[in-house]
Amino acid sequence: MKILVTVKEVAEAADDFELPDGALDIDERYLEYDLNEWDEYGVEEGVQIAEENEDTEVVSVTIGPERSEETIRMALAKGVDRAIRIWDDALEDVAFLDVEARARILAAVVAEEDPDLVLTGVQANDDGFGATGIALADRIDFEWAAVVNHLDLDVEGGLAHVHRELEGGVEELTDVELPAVLSIQTGINEPRYASLRGIRQAQSKEIVPYELADLDLDADVTDSPLSLTSMYEPETESSATVFEGSPEEEADQLGELLGEMGVVEG
Amino acid sequence: MNFEVPDEHRMIRNTVREFADEEIAPIAQEIEDEHRYPAEVFDALAGLDVMGIPITEEYGGLGGDQLMYALVTEELGRVSGAIGLSYAAHVSLAAKPIELFGTHEQKERWLRPLAEGEAIGAWALTEPGSGSDASNMDTHAERDGDEYVLDGTKQFITNASEAGSILVKAVTDPDAGYDGISTFIVDPREDDGFEVTTIWDKMGLNASPTCEIAFDDVRLPEDRLLGTEGDGWTQTMKTLGGGRISIAALSVGLAQGAYEAARSYAGEREQFDQPVSKFDAVRDMIVEMDRKIERSRLLTHKAAAQYDSGGEVTKSSSLAKLDASETSREVAEDAVQVLGGYGYTTDFAPQRFYRDAKLMEIGEGTSEIQRMVIGRELGL
Ligand SMILES: Cc1cc2nc3c(=O)[nH]c(=O)nc-3n(C[C@H](O)[C@H](O)[C@H](O)COP(=O)(O)OP(=O)(O)OC[C@H]3O[C@@H](n4cnc5c(N)ncnc54)[C@H](O)[C@@H]3O)c2cc1C
Repeated sequence: MKILVTVKEVAEAADDFELPDGALDIDERYLEYDLNEWDEYGVEEGVQIAEENEDTEVVSVTIGPERSEETIRMALAKGVDRAIRIWDDALEDVAFLDVEARARILAAVVAEEDPDLVLTGVQANDDGFGATGIALADRIDFEWAAVVNHLDLDVEGGLAHVHRELEGGVEELTDVELPAVLSIQTGINEPRYASLRGIRQAQSKEIVPYELADLDLDADVTDSPLSLTSMYEPETESSATVFEGSPEEEADQLGELLGEMGVVEG
Repeated sequence: MNFEVPDEHRMIRNTVREFADEEIAPIAQEIEDEHRYPAEVFDALAGLDVMGIPITEEYGGLGGDQLMYALVTEELGRVSGAIGLSYAAHVSLAAKPIELFGTHEQKERWLRPLAEGEAIGAWALTEPGSGSDASNMDTHAERDGDEYVLDGTKQFITNASEAGSILVKAVTDPDAGYDGISTFIVDPREDDGFEVTTIWDKMGLNASPTCEIAFDDVRLPEDRLLGTEGDGWTQTMKTLGGGRISIAALSVGLAQGAYEAARSYAGEREQFDQPVSKFDAVRDMIVEMDRKIERSRLLTHKAAAQYDSGGEVTKSSSLAKLDASETSREVAEDAVQVLGGYGYTTDFAPQRFYRDAKLMEIGEGTSEIQRMVIGRELGL
């Protein structure tokens, strides 16, 4: 079996950064890069499946500049077998890649690799579209399940028994036929720390660089109806009400407030 | 000249930092207050292959170098001096000499469990009557047939109460001076006549046990002699070369932890309607911290790089240890000052770094002894 895990290096802004008027991005000096949180769980899930099932290969794929090699090498250190990194001058020049572009690029990788299972994160904590996994499934015509927080794989039967997290704490139990794309929710497992031996071995594992042409794609893959028009820090408003008195009095005050806010009738 | 650490080293440092932040930092004060050796942390570190970094893979180590080991020791010190100290004693003092001076059989039996983290190690040189003047020891081992009989007391031995093996220095030939000292491997769990007589309460580092231990007619088979008879002192000098680099790294870590606590606090704490970091006096303290840490870290990495290229490290390791240990104490003291009254409470880390840092100017040769060593190297 072959599992493809999509991973993304995301930028995280320092606590107190400055965003000058008109800027379309946070300045490099305030940014730190790390593996997208959801992808940590995707990697762990893929590696655990490989540990439980013989002859399973886990391949990671990322779209990102050379800098992202360190992040993807961390996935290799945790047990991913090999990796693919897609980058191109055409990608260098665009402000951001939309979901469509990502799905098209990843679909080309799926065509190359022919995996049985694709694991993506539910979302990335920078752009937060939360749509890449499912857009990919649609494009490659795989079965799919979104926001998976439990996965039980029946390799023989080619079936993934999954729990999906729905709104309001409701869970859906679904069976998905392979090949499939699952978007993985945080908490599905406990991501491991890379062992130091794993890190050392990862130095000699393969990260294959692809350009768009290697995947039979043109620069127009980056064309997008979306454009980034501005970036600003939203005003945050918070107010706190402190209740004082005996527990009974405090409960009364809380009840009154909830009534006023229309949370409860009364 | 390259001041960037290699990719592999950086990844290892980042991983250990993440582990330290998430698994050690939250319990660092608790284990100090409880005077508890955190065996579970060392088990977890063993699982990540941390316990035998500079030990060859042939005997269960990671096969890394001294620089990698120094980087990791710094990360441990950044969150917990006690864990860092027990770790540094285990690697530099207890495991490394067996790799350098042991036979194949000794390495299989005694080094492998240390390198794999199955057991923690200890190293016993200091005695109640001989500290800085370490070669002037009373502990002695007499030959009796094909055994040695070991008698004496060792003082301030890190990890001894938890150890799977202890390397013990003892006089085998009282008339031979430096050449009359030998090293023995003692099994504290199996060897009759071994006893931990005291576990000290200390100013800091209380999660790292510091023990007085006694040997009362402990009978050791010949194969417990490390190297040959009379090699003990030369081995000690070599061992301390690496050991001092690890204490320097640990000191840099303590300073870094204290600096980070001070820096973030100073940016948030407001007095006279502005963050205290905006006052020149506070800013200057933090700038000084940065300057000292940078200097000490460079000296430490230089000594580690020299060690790795097989060079002589007597001077560079002494210099790094002397400088970094002072840095850690000074930076930690200023960090307490930056936090004001809160810095004096155990709710904040700087006081712990301050208490832990003081030992760095004492263990593995006091600052006075380091100056003596450096003076001698300078031909003075
Ligand atoms: C927490 C802790 C952990 C330790 N772990 C270990 C361990 O694992 N294994 C081990 O063997 N030892 C260990 N030690 C012992 C440590 O190495 C000694 O305490 C240290 O070498 C100093 O010896 P001393 O305490 O006997 O002090 P002394 O040698 O009595 O020194 C007292 C003072 O005199 C000064 N002094 C001594 N001689 C000179 C001189 N020639 N010139 C100038 N000044 C001098 C010293 O610098 C010091 O200020 C540990 C100690 C502590 C506190």
